[in-house]
Amino acid sequence: MKFEKKRATTKQEIPTASMPDIVFMLLLFFMVSTTLREVDVMVQFKLPEAKAIEKIENKRLISYIWVGHDGRIQLNDNIVKVKDIKDIMYKKRVALPNVIVSLRIDKDSDMGIVTDIQQELRKADCRRINYSARLKE
Amino acid sequence: MVKIKKRKLSAAEIPTSSMADIAFLLLLFFLVATTIDVDTGIGLTLPEYVPPEQQTFAPISKDRMAALLINKNGDVLLNKKQIAIPQIKENLIARIKSKIDLPKNKKLIVSVKTDRETNYNLYIQALDQVKAAYFEVRKEYAESHFGKKVSDLTKEEMKELRDKIPIIISIAEPEVVKK
Repeated sequence: MKFEKKRATTKQEIPTASMPDIVFMLLLFFMVSTTLREVDVMVQFKLPEAKAIEKIENKRLISYIWVGHDGRIQLNDNIVKVKDIKDIMYKKRVALPNVIVSLRIDKDSDMGIVTDIQQELRKADCRRINYSARLKE
Repeated sequence: MVKIKKRKLSAAEIPTSSMADIAFLLLLFFLVATTIDVDTGIGLTLPEYVPPEQQTFAPISKDRMAALLINKNGDVLLNKKQIAIPQIKENLIARIKSKIDLPKNKKLIVSVKTDRETNYNLYIQALDQVKAAYFEVRKEYAESHFGKKVSDLTKEEMKELRDKIPIIISIAEPEVVKK
């Protein structure tokens, strides 16, 4: 007599048909909620810490200026000199009238360079600035 | 006669098993290439640029002015008295509060001035204290007059708050360095 094993005849498979849909939904979420990283930061910096900080809601208005611990200034994709800032920022300001300049300056910098940059920004009429800082615990 | 058998059509299928992999790859690409971090910091509006020849001296009464000086050794002077950075907030809160009901042209002006060699971090710490003082006064005003948090205020209430307690921080004109 032949013994038949008792085994369910249904297929043992996890349905994967909807997997792409789920992943695409995740993908769409990330595409909508984030902005593309535009530039490579070429200078090294550590941001200062502060308590009374605000968030900038509109990320598309922000234009960054980085100052590294070695005193190099980066604007867009280039390392620039202080006296070049005025022209570049003036063009930006014409293209985007309410631009916010976010200054990401290394915390060990001197105020001299900060003052120089601020003077250039004032000449370019980019007067809304933001000293980038991290939240102090 | 030979019967011609019709060939059975197999169901046409696109292989979708790799679709998930492709989508995951795309997802990974976007995860790597995007930034999520929100930019936080201390906001400020710089004064308009006036060439040195056209600068005029506008007298401001001593009562209105809170002059904050930070030198290169890290010493802080508030209205000519030496002070530690964490004390700035307490000092300013009292002065801001006393000026809530004064007209617009009598509000407190905080002027921050530094040496060229002053450490940037110190400057941010001082500025942070000034901002914190204003935020504290605004918070108290919002709670006592509207019974709400500052973030929950309506536009009109926010405008009133801004009119009553405007944040005026002036960055002092740098002195001309002789070369």
